[in-house]
Amino acid sequence: MAIRLTAWAAVLVGLLLSAGCDMPSPQFRLNTEGRAPEEIGPARADAITEALEKLLGTPDEPNVPEGVPLKIGQLRAAAGPVGSHSDGSDSDGSRTGLYRRHCVRCHGLSGDGAGPAAAMLNPYPRDFRRGIFKYTSTNAGAKPSRKDIKRTLLKGVPGTAMPSFVRLSQNDLDALVEYVKYLSIRGEAELYLLRLVVDEDEYLPLHELAAAALEEGLLPAAALWESARSAVVTPPPEPPTDAPQSPASSVAKGRELYAQKDAQCVKCHGPNGEGDGEDAELYDDWNKPKEGVTPEQTAKLARLFTLPIQQLRPRNFHQGTYRGGDEPVDLYWRIHVGIKGTPMPAAGPAPGAAGVLAPEEIWHMVHYLQSLSQAE
Amino acid sequence: MAHKWNRRQFVTRTASATGALAAGLHVPAVVKAAASEWGDLVGRLIYDGKAPERKKLKVDKDVECCGKFDIRDESLMVGEDGGLGNVYIYVRTSRRKKVDICPELETEYSKKENGRVMLDNRDCIFIPHSMKIWYEKQEYYIVNSDPVAQNVAFSPLGDVPANIILPVKPKPGFEATWHFKRKQSIPVPIACNYHPWESAHILPLDHPYCAITAMDGTFSIPKLPTGELEFQVWQERIGYLKTPDWSRGRFKMTIKPGTNDLGTIKLNPSLFEKS
Repeated sequence: MAIRLTAWAAVLVGLLLSAGCDMPSPQFRLNTEGRAPEEIGPARADAITEALEKLLGTPDEPNVPEGVPLKIGQLRAAAGPVGSHSDGSDSDGSRTGLYRRHCVRCHGLSGDGAGPAAAMLNPYPRDFRRGIFKYTSTNAGAKPSRKDIKRTLLKGVPGTAMPSFVRLSQNDLDALVEYVKYLSIRGEAELYLLRLVVDEDEYLPLHELAAAALEEGLLPAAALWESARSAVVTPPPEPPTDAPQSPASSVAKGRELYAQKDAQCVKCHGPNGEGDGEDAELYDDWNKPKEGVTPEQTAKLARLFTLPIQQLRPRNFHQGTYRGGDEPVDLYWRIHVGIKGTPMPAAGPAPGAAGVLAPEEIWHMVHYLQSLSQAE
Repeated sequence: MAHKWNRRQFVTRTASATGALAAGLHVPAVVKAAASEWGDLVGRLIYDGKAPERKKLKVDKDVECCGKFDIRDESLMVGEDGGLGNVYIYVRTSRRKKVDICPELETEYSKKENGRVMLDNRDCIFIPHSMKIWYEKQEYYIVNSDPVAQNVAFSPLGDVPANIILPVKPKPGFEATWHFKRKQSIPVPIACNYHPWESAHILPLDHPYCAITAMDGTFSIPKLPTGELEFQVWQERIGYLKTPDWSRGRFKMTIKPGTNDLGTIKLNPSLFEKS
């Protein structure tokens, strides 16, 4: 007897529904920058991934090991899938998925700066995993303070694709700052494990690998983040900027300092601050490893990296667009502590190094730079 | 996961390597009796071929000052009689394998005159080119002897990165001190952001057992603890100095009291070709 078509359809649909439509939960991607896939091998890749998962969890469920100063509540709000309600909250009212809602498209799930949109952008989004951040107020070598990360979220990075997130609530911003810190610390632990397991060829069982990653990867990185607050540079009061034409004015002093040999500004930024210094191929720390000795070698190296090599341009001050912010104190910080991860060095005093410019001289330089974009 | 069979192999290999893989068992670092006898390791590395010509580097900054020097690539240094210079040979330590340090060396390195390793910016290059430092006992002293401002930048893994500007002597800041906070497994490259041709290396270690070969290829590591030690050999152009005998540039040697001679090792020029 022929069974009716609708009955067959019902059985088919029933089978499909019972199979479920569970998507596998997303995983962090291993940091293979600069390494050939065969160099790592699947066994080592798995070992590293497992150790990190044991310590720090997954993109859906973060974990904070003992002794690491990260706030799990904030991480949970940032991690996980975006909630189903229009404001991003879940059915039980909890907030999750902030990172995936706002950041993942450019910065990637693992904070690798290689999200789906990244390849189209110049400059590339930040790869958090090296623990280096460009626009900071802390001394050269120190991690950014939480305020530095929050400032970047609030102001965006003018001249790049990084928008301002000023419309997010304070809680949401704090959660995102904490998650960036989490991804960064995780990234550094991963680099440590890669060095240990791949370069050094150490075979360790899982719990020992995790212990090594915690003690020598996570905890030192976390300690540096904690000490960042004491490394914040507080500028002295800003001197007055009136009468820019007078030779004794701050602008004139700044012009003189800019041209003098010690700070070497002219070398990259050019004699008139147009960013046309002596022709040099400049790269930031993320792109420098992609450069070979010859163009052929660069082409060969390309297969070891996710994104193609990208050059760095020294700032043209006449445009008045500053990525780290255009407030006077922002410019002060860029000169005093430099831009980490780039050839722009720290000119101001730091522990152990007197630097080339005194704090007041840095203010004169700031006024000179501001005068360049105001003159047009 | 797709490669489960590889993981099983890996786990088995680990088990046989450690020999004590029990669930939850904490495996302590290998404990052995402290050495009471010490020996020296000496040897010589030879580049078994005609010394290649060192490429002239592009000097395009501060040319008035730096253009007058004959600045050449230092990534492969072969002395007059074929000696291979600037090669690092050092004891490999790890979480499980520490090395006993001779008390005489502890005393020696604690002396003020041995408390510093110096990096000089002179004649528009870094001098010396290859350095080592016992980071717990020594500080890194960086100075600028050039008539132009210099920059010293390095980024040791897991440690605080440096990016120091050194103005011209005697302006304050022409010298700086740096303290490394952890050991490294391979030498850290040093660069100058003002003068891109400049380069050097420094290896911070948690022990004094490191030698850098002289231009005649000879080296000596005094007062090593007796017993079996693993040594790492590293050369700037190719990294780990891999040879048919030295996998990953490593060799094991049982150090006996007195002088232990590694002998004269002849290295084929093909080993130094970058792929």
